[in-house]
Amino acid sequence: MSVRSFARVRWQRRSLAGLLGLVLLAPVCAWAAAQTGYAEPMDNAAELAGVASEAVPTGLSLFSGYALPGLGPRVGTLGGALFGTALTLVLALAVGRLLASGAAVR
Amino acid sequence: MHTPDGFLHPWMAGGFLVLSCLVLAIASRRARESLTEHRVQLFAVVAAAVFAAQMLNWPIPGGTSAHFVGGAFAAIVLGPHLGALAVALVVAVQALVFGDGGALALGANVWNMAIVQAYVGYGVYAALADRDERLAAVVGGWLGITAAAASAGLQLAVSPGFGGEFLAVVAVMAGGHFLLGVGEGVLTLLGVWLLDRTGVDAEQLRPSGVRA
Repeated sequence: MSVRSFARVRWQRRSLAGLLGLVLLAPVCAWAAAQTGYAEPMDNAAELAGVASEAVPTGLSLFSGYALPGLGPRVGTLGGALFGTALTLVLALAVGRLLASGAAVR
Repeated sequence: MHTPDGFLHPWMAGGFLVLSCLVLAIASRRARESLTEHRVQLFAVVAAAVFAAQMLNWPIPGGTSAHFVGGAFAAIVLGPHLGALAVALVVAVQALVFGDGGALALGANVWNMAIVQAYVGYGVYAALADRDERLAAVVGGWLGITAAAASAGLQLAVSPGFGGEFLAVVAVMAGGHFLLGVGEGVLTLLGVWLLDRTGVDAEQLRPSGVRA
């Protein structure tokens, strides 16, 4: 199975449409969450312990956030969501195929 | 839920990296026995859906926000082993491509979100599914994320930087996600329902059809 052959079946086409819907919602939700000040419980715990400033940005990552650089927050977030979802889909297909081939070899 | 670098002691981060790799290696061996072409495709769709859904932060009154994590959802749909692998892949992409969660803390984040949430969520779901499958999905999602948050809270609480705030840190993490987890539970049920609506083979959604 290639990536190109992925959308042949009805459930796959519907799933891909659902994924696209989630991707389109990403910039809307990012904007809405930003309006609240966005603090997850872990942020609150770190603030409580006075170590919030000790968080170190990951230097190994390709990007420094979900918004792709140079596109602005909304289009950048949309691009990040599209790129990340597609990348995860392709990587998962590759990992799944690798695992399946390992089972077949044994 | 994504622990950044700098919060955990390096030894702890390394220990969880080794532990998570061991568990995922066992999960891979168990999962591949049941891997058909159809399940490979389902695995890819679920992993991508978990990634996309984790980007949807919804505002909570009081100045906070939350997002779906999806460990229990993946485990219910794929079985616990393949579900854990799907979320682990998502957490790795988030850390190494988008910088969400530390690279050194990757093992701890995989442990919390992929392993603890998937296996606890699936265990709760499997225990309740015979009585009421919908309720089982909700409670599985709810308790799965609460367990994952408690695990993350314990890791933080025993780290040197968080010293002296053990109970407070665990209470904030576990208590916060216990409340937010109701939404995770409802979205877990919604996710399973939506996937079922795509027409995917219903047998793939039943735990009995998956070699756990």
